[in-house]
Amino acid sequence: MKPVSCSTNPFKKYAFPCNINDLNLPARERYHCLRRGLRLIMFFVAMTPVLVTAGLSFYQYRQLLKEDTNNAATWSTMGAQQNIETFLEKLRLSISVISEAYTFQELIDQKMLDGVFEKLKQENRGIVDLSVIGPDGVQRAYSGAFNLAGKNYRDSFWYNKTLAQKSYISEVFMGFRNFPHFVVAVSRKMADSSEGNWVLRASVDTETLDRFIATVNSEIASDAFLVSQEGVLQSRSNFYGKVNDKMSLPDIGLPTGVVLMHDQRGSKNVIRTYTAIKDTPWILVLEQQQYGDKLSWRKFKQQLLITFCVCAVIIIFSVYRIAGFVAASIRNSDELREAVIAQTEHSDRLASIGRLAAGVAHEINNPLAIIGAKAQLMQDLLEHETTFAKRDKFMNQLESVNNAVNRSQKITHRLLSFARRMEVRQEPVQVNEVIGEVLSFLEKEALYQNIAIVQDLQADLPSITSDQGQLQQILLNITNNAIDAAGKNGNILITTRQNDSGSIQIAISDNGPGMPPEVRNKIFEPFFTTKTGENKQGTGLGLSITYGIVKKLQGEIQVESEVGSGATFILTFPTKPLVKK
Amino acid sequence: MTATSEHKVLIVDDELDFAETVVECLELRGFHAKSAGDANEAMALIKSGWRPEVVILDLKMPGVNGLEALNLIKAHDPSIQVIIATSHGSTSDGIEGMHRGLFDYLMKPVEINELVRMINEAIAQNATRRGGPAEE
Repeated sequence: MKPVSCSTNPFKKYAFPCNINDLNLPARERYHCLRRGLRLIMFFVAMTPVLVTAGLSFYQYRQLLKEDTNNAATWSTMGAQQNIETFLEKLRLSISVISEAYTFQELIDQKMLDGVFEKLKQENRGIVDLSVIGPDGVQRAYSGAFNLAGKNYRDSFWYNKTLAQKSYISEVFMGFRNFPHFVVAVSRKMADSSEGNWVLRASVDTETLDRFIATVNSEIASDAFLVSQEGVLQSRSNFYGKVNDKMSLPDIGLPTGVVLMHDQRGSKNVIRTYTAIKDTPWILVLEQQQYGDKLSWRKFKQQLLITFCVCAVIIIFSVYRIAGFVAASIRNSDELREAVIAQTEHSDRLASIGRLAAGVAHEINNPLAIIGAKAQLMQDLLEHETTFAKRDKFMNQLESVNNAVNRSQKITHRLLSFARRMEVRQEPVQVNEVIGEVLSFLEKEALYQNIAIVQDLQADLPSITSDQGQLQQILLNITNNAIDAAGKNGNILITTRQNDSGSIQIAISDNGPGMPPEVRNKIFEPFFTTKTGENKQGTGLGLSITYGIVKKLQGEIQVESEVGSGATFILTFPTKPLVKK
Repeated sequence: MTATSEHKVLIVDDELDFAETVVECLELRGFHAKSAGDANEAMALIKSGWRPEVVILDLKMPGVNGLEALNLIKAHDPSIQVIIATSHGSTSDGIEGMHRGLFDYLMKPVEINELVRMINEAIAQNATRRGGPAEE
C-alpha cells in the first residue's frame, strides 16, 4: 500500500503517520492528516476480521473439498474395481462350469461346442470364440468367427500360464486374430490323467471391456481405463491413447488397495487412482479433476470474492464517512475550544486594560486636581483684582481650563467606572419593563432627531434573575449608540424573545450606515471608537464597559452588521445565571 | 463668602501643591485654613491646640492612609467633621469611611464651590449637634 503523505516537506513525502501534534503544520493539513490517519486505522481494523474470515473460509472449504475429492476418487475406484472383478469372475466361472460339465471328448465335437458357444454368448456379451486345446497345445475344436483349427499354442505365454495356474485371464494382445482381445482360459485334467491337461479357452473382445468401463468413466471420472504393469493400455483411454498404446506409469508395481496420486495433465490438475484387478495382470486407472477445476470450487471462489468485495466497498464507504465525521467533530470541538480560549484571553485583556485604566485615572486625577484648584484660585484672585486690564480675557481663559479639567474628569471617572468591580445583584428582572424605563430616558433625544423606535416585545416573556441597574446601563448604552447610528429620521427596532434553550434574547437594530468587518471585530475593544467627527466625540469605552457588564451578568453580546444595512446588537441572558463560587 | 475666620479647615494631602492651593482658595472664601503633608503632621497640629472644625483628607497617603487618619482624628475629637477627597473611584472606601464617621466623600479633581458647600454642610451639622445655629 502506498504510504500517505501529510507533510509539505518533499523529503517527508511518504512519511506516515504524520504528526498531528506538529504545530508547524497548517491547521488544515493537520486535520487532513488526522482524517487520513483515522481512515487508515479504521479501514485496517474493519478489514482485518473480514480478511481473516474470508481466508479461513477459503482454506477450510478447500481442505474439505480436497478431502471430499480424494474420498470420492477412492470410493469410485473401489466401486469400479469391484464391478470389473465381478464381470471377469462371471466369465471365468462360466468357462470353468463348462469345463466341469463337459468332457474333453464331448467338447471337441464341433456340434456340441457350437451349441455351448451359442449359450455362452447369450449369457456373456463380448465373447467372440470358444476353443478347446488338447494336452499337446494344438487346438482341437473351435467355435467362432475365425478359422483357427489346428493352431498350436504350446509356446504361448497364456497357454503355459493357464496350465500353471489352472485358470488365467491374459493381457490384451493381437494374436492370430489380429485384433485386440484377451482370453479367459481354464485347464482340466484329461480323463486319463497321464495324458496331461486340456484347456478351454474363450476370447473376449476388448470393446466389451471398453463399453463396460465407459459406464464407470462417464459417471464418476473424466477417464477410466485398464493398463498392464508395463504401461500398455488394456482398454481405450480418453486421454492416453487406444488399446496397446504405451503410457508412462508411476513406479508402483501391482498396487495393493487404492493408490491415490496428484498429477497434472497439460494445464489441468488431476487426481489419478491406481488399483489392481484381482487375478489379472491389469491395473485400473481412474482420473478425476482436482477440486480446483470443479464447478463447486469455482462457484465458491466467485461468491467469496463477491461477498468480500461488497464488504470492502461497504467498509470503505462507512470508514470514509465516519472518519470524515469524527475528524470534523474533533475539528469543530478544537475550534470551539480555541474560540473559548480566545474569548477568555479577550476577557483577560479587558481586565488588564481595566486595571491599567484605573491606575492611569488615579495618576491623572492628582495633577488634574492641582490644575483645577490652581485655575479656581486664579479666578478667585482675579475677581478681587479690579484694575487688571485683561482681567476678563484671563477669566475666559481660566474658564476654558476649568472646562478642560471637567472634561478630563469625566474621562477619568468613566475609566474608573470601567475598571470598577461592583457586586452583581441577583433580583427578578422583567426585561420588557427595563426596556420601557430605558426608552423613557431617551424619548426626548429620539423625538429631537425624529427617530421612530418600534418595540416588538414578547408579551409572556419570563422574568430573569439579574441586576436591574446594570441591565439598564447595558440597554441605555446600546440604545444610545443605536440613536447615534440611526441619525435623523432613522428607525430603531427593539425585540425580545425567549430562545428554544430558555434564555432571553434582546435585539436592538438600527438602520444606520452599518459597519465593515474590521470595525465589527473591534467594536468591543476599549478605546476603539468610530465617533471621530467634529460633533461626535467618544471615549471608546461605552461598548467595552457594556461588554464587561454583559459578561458579568453571564450574558452574551453579538453584533451583526454589513455596510449599508444597519447594525443589530443581540443580547442573550440566562433566566437563572450560575452562582459563581 | 459666608464663612468667617472662626471656621477652621485642615487640608491633609501629600500633594502639597494641591493642599496649599485649596488652602488659599478657602482663605479667600473666609475660612481659616491650614495644610498638612501627612496624617502625623495633621495630628501634631490638632494636638497642639489648633482644632479644625472640618478636615479634608486624601485617601492615599504615604505612611498613615486616609481611613487610618480618620480613625485617629475621630479618636481624638469625634466632633471634628472629616471629608475624604480622593483620586480613586472606589465607592467601597467611601462606604467604609461612612461607617467610621466620615461626613462625606468626593472625587478629585475637586470643584472648589462644591467643596465649600460640603464644608458648610459639615459645619452646620456640627452646630446642630451642639444645639446652636450654624454661623452662615
